[in-house]
Amino acid sequence: MLGRFDYERPTNLAEAVRLFAETPSAAILAGGTDLLVELRSGRHAPRLLVDVKRVDGLRRLDVGPRGDLTIGAAVSLNELLEHAATRWSFPGLAQAAASIATYQLRNRATVTGNLCNASPAADLAPALLVLGAAVGVAGPRGARVIPVAEFFAGVKRTTLRRGEIATEVRIPAPEPELRSAFLKQQRLRGHDLAVANVAGALAPSTGTLRLAFGSCAPTPILLAPIETKGMSAVAVGAAAAAATLAAASPISDVRASAEYRRAVLPVLVRRVVAELLGGGAT
Amino acid sequence: MNGRLETATVPAGMTLLEFLRGRLCLVGTKEGCGIGECGACTVLLDGKPVTACLVLAVEADGGAVDTIEGEARDGELSALQKAFIEAGAIQCGFCTPGMIMSARGLLRRIPNPTDDEIVEAMAGNLCRCTGYEAILEAVRVAAQAKAVPHAGQMVAGQSAGGSGSQGGRLSSPRVPGEGGGRG
Repeated sequence: MLGRFDYERPTNLAEAVRLFAETPSAAILAGGTDLLVELRSGRHAPRLLVDVKRVDGLRRLDVGPRGDLTIGAAVSLNELLEHAATRWSFPGLAQAAASIATYQLRNRATVTGNLCNASPAADLAPALLVLGAAVGVAGPRGARVIPVAEFFAGVKRTTLRRGEIATEVRIPAPEPELRSAFLKQQRLRGHDLAVANVAGALAPSTGTLRLAFGSCAPTPILLAPIETKGMSAVAVGAAAAAATLAAASPISDVRASAEYRRAVLPVLVRRVVAELLGGGAT
Repeated sequence: MNGRLETATVPAGMTLLEFLRGRLCLVGTKEGCGIGECGACTVLLDGKPVTACLVLAVEADGGAVDTIEGEARDGELSALQKAFIEAGAIQCGFCTPGMIMSARGLLRRIPNPTDDEIVEAMAGNLCRCTGYEAILEAVRVAAQAKAVPHAGQMVAGQSAGGSGSQGGRLSSPRVPGEGGGRG
């Protein structure tokens, strides 16, 4: 038994918001791959679970007319990975999703839940940050949209207000020929949380490079855009690595020391830059 | 539940794994780690492999659950089970039900998987007897025996000894981004 709590499975969003907002200690259940572990350990003991998987509209996985993508809060990582348009338009996002946990867990774990869990190591966070994604939110005071860049408030904390439910992740239409990539350093070649992760997106027409990284600060971090026109891949890689290290504040934990993270982070950044810009990898 | 309707009232905090083992006495599904790391409790929920320790029993309401107990039909092992025996893919047996359910999910989704696809599908199932090579071979053998979706009768009498003849299937083209580099 994972504790004593009530369970509700609303089918419309207004009801889900009401249940979640009215109950002093309620938790949203989507995939449950993080929540159920916390319930089992006793770290989290809510009185009510609001299962949002059957709420109308939250299973949507829609490509808009200009290529923008909306991923409902009940969409699993494997459903995202099986979505051809995602793999074609956003390969960095697909790489990040494929790197998470195991096939069984990816059948449960959701895209939105990976953000809402607000782990500093969340692999989808850097991949979504470089795409300019945002989180659609419904709450007692109505709906709003939070850019992923403003979604994380700290370790395991988001900027969702009391009673608000994340309903979807929105990725804007990609710039023409947008390239994206994701790399992750793990303790072992297999299923593990990131020691460090790095995502990049390059718009070839403008030469603007966006980079984000995780597991090396209290939250995933998006760097200021880097202009690459007229620069070699090596020069861009060096500049990006320096900017990344300046923004990083890694700690030592069970997965790696701060020193190791500082050593490996610039390597991942240079490799992502090399993959996006071409030229030799380091 | 394995094709039969089961009706029950359960506490919200009961996992699907606890329900299977404690209420239905379907003890083929094993509890290893209890936190989704080892894969021993893998079952199919609506045809997809999931770890039953991280699913609430109430979440399976209205869904279809397949467990190891549903593999054999009329006293005859499924082709997948036979392949595990033929390939020597069983030692202590604790991981085997989860392994077979992961393989079942894979073969339903991809009847003729590549080696990379087999590895990716089975990578969430740990075996402490270190029998991975034999386990991967068992899945290859079952795929060659067309063990999809329930092929007990289809392959009856057919030799499952196709080991070593799968070399040509290693590099079929796939959509870019396949996580084949992970293992």
